[in-house]
Amino acid sequence: MIRFEHVGKRYGGRFDALANIDFRIRRGEMAFLTGHSGAGKSSLLRLLMRLERPTRGRILVAGHDIDRLHTSQIPFYRRQIGVVFQDHQLLFDRNVFANVALPLQIQGLEPHEAARRVRAALDKVGLLHRERALPIELSGGEQQRIGIARAVVNKPALLLADEPTGNLDPQLSADIMRLFEDFNRIGTTIMIASHDLALIARLHHRVLKLSEGRLIGDDATVEETS
Amino acid sequence: MSADRTPSPNQRRPRQGSSSARQPDTRQKKPRRGARSQHTGMNSQLRAWGRHHRAMALDSVQRLMRRPLGSLMTMLAIGIALILPCALWLTLDSARLLDAGLEESASLTVYLDTTMEESEAMQMASSLREHPGVAAARLVTAAEGMVEFEQALGLEDALMRLGTNPLPASIVVAPLDTSPQAVHELSERLAEVPRVDEVRLDLAWLERLRRLAELGQRLTLALGVLFGFGVLLIVGNTIRLSVENRRQEIEVVTLIGATHAFVRRPFLYSGAWYGLGGGLLAWLLLGVGGQWLSAPVQALAQSYGAHFTVPGLDWQGSAALLVSSILLGWLGGWVAVNRHLKEIRPR
Repeated sequence: MIRFEHVGKRYGGRFDALANIDFRIRRGEMAFLTGHSGAGKSSLLRLLMRLERPTRGRILVAGHDIDRLHTSQIPFYRRQIGVVFQDHQLLFDRNVFANVALPLQIQGLEPHEAARRVRAALDKVGLLHRERALPIELSGGEQQRIGIARAVVNKPALLLADEPTGNLDPQLSADIMRLFEDFNRIGTTIMIASHDLALIARLHHRVLKLSEGRLIGDDATVEETS
Repeated sequence: MSADRTPSPNQRRPRQGSSSARQPDTRQKKPRRGARSQHTGMNSQLRAWGRHHRAMALDSVQRLMRRPLGSLMTMLAIGIALILPCALWLTLDSARLLDAGLEESASLTVYLDTTMEESEAMQMASSLREHPGVAAARLVTAAEGMVEFEQALGLEDALMRLGTNPLPASIVVAPLDTSPQAVHELSERLAEVPRVDEVRLDLAWLERLRRLAELGQRLTLALGVLFGFGVLLIVGNTIRLSVENRRQEIEVVTLIGATHAFVRRPFLYSGAWYGLGGGLLAWLLLGVGGQWLSAPVQALAQSYGAHFTVPGLDWQGSAALLVSSILLGWLGGWVAVNRHLKEIRPR
């Protein structure tokens, strides 16, 4: 599903944010990306979202070199990826329903079909009863769940999350991770950047470890044997 | 892409929990939909496009109405910027009408030999009427000329004392072609007619007037361009602020796959609405201003013995004003959003 081939990203001609990153994530896999802040987790995700282009190497997603995408194709590429942000990035000027419906609105889905899917996604994250609420009225954990509902509402093949539990307490974090595991169970490929090592250790998924822009660990054993 | 994607859901299906029972079929279709938009079908895409246009047109109106005073200020600024070139254009347009009237009065006066008898003069007048390039010829006999002269100068007594009429008979000729060049040529030809003493034409002032009108036209054009640019700046600046205010929204929708057109749309509608509002205000103010000026202008014209009404915009002019103001607003929105789309890079 995702394949990094000797990818390097250099900023300003000198600073290597990422160097010689080489790994592969299979379809339906769930993997964590860890490392200290500044280790290159965000850079890697930005490359995957095609917000930036690698200075070296190739990134293949579903067999396609995403560096070759024409500017006009990028939006359509992004529609296949669900993204969950640390600060959930909900829009506070509209209610929960409208927030979750946003990707479907962008894709131009018929309103009744969109409403059905929004409710399904909200149901999945356990917040169907809050569809009329404004994001500001929700707790941090609920907001993050709405963010996840928005990321999965168009049923993307690939789900990326950048520190999705960064602002949550351990209990809520565990809930959120369980939610990701549920989505992984139905076939979604998931990649989560996180530095919550204790939580990650309990979950027994593949862990890619970054340090100073290099991949220093790829603990794929759990996934291989399962 | 779709070919190597399809197997995965099938493999995964046995592992699905009951909670996701509704998902498998759509999951299979879904990933293709985003990348290959023809899957959605031309028709439904077009409907979605129309739906978004309607939604954004409405949404941008609601946003304008949420801060009525600010919106009104912007529209008023646009309106005022539009009024000046419009008013100048209207004035010029009516001046052109005046000019046309003057051209009709661009006539030549052919002074005849003083020794000519009245009957001969009448013959001369009718022969001039046949002359090529002459539209009309009116005889002013020596006696008539005397009366006009006396009235104009108030010299009745002085001239009476002369006893004899020193004035020649004259024929006032209206040329067919009133362009300065043609009139000049006609005057030369008429001067060669036997027993014509002199041909007078006073076109210099007409020429000057025409030059002035041309100057006015260019001035209007320059002002129009300048103030049109002003409208662009006003709208651009306003839209720039709302782009700033909605920066997060733009970033988020860009990240989840919105095209530039999608992002741009609400702002283009805002721009167009601002333009429409500004155009309507300009139209209204022009109407009110015209009414307000009409009484003194008419009185002034009457004192010169002329008939002149303050020009107003006809429906074509009004339509042109509104369409151009909407277009300017739209364009202002376009420029502002495009400039900022480049700047805004998510996170």
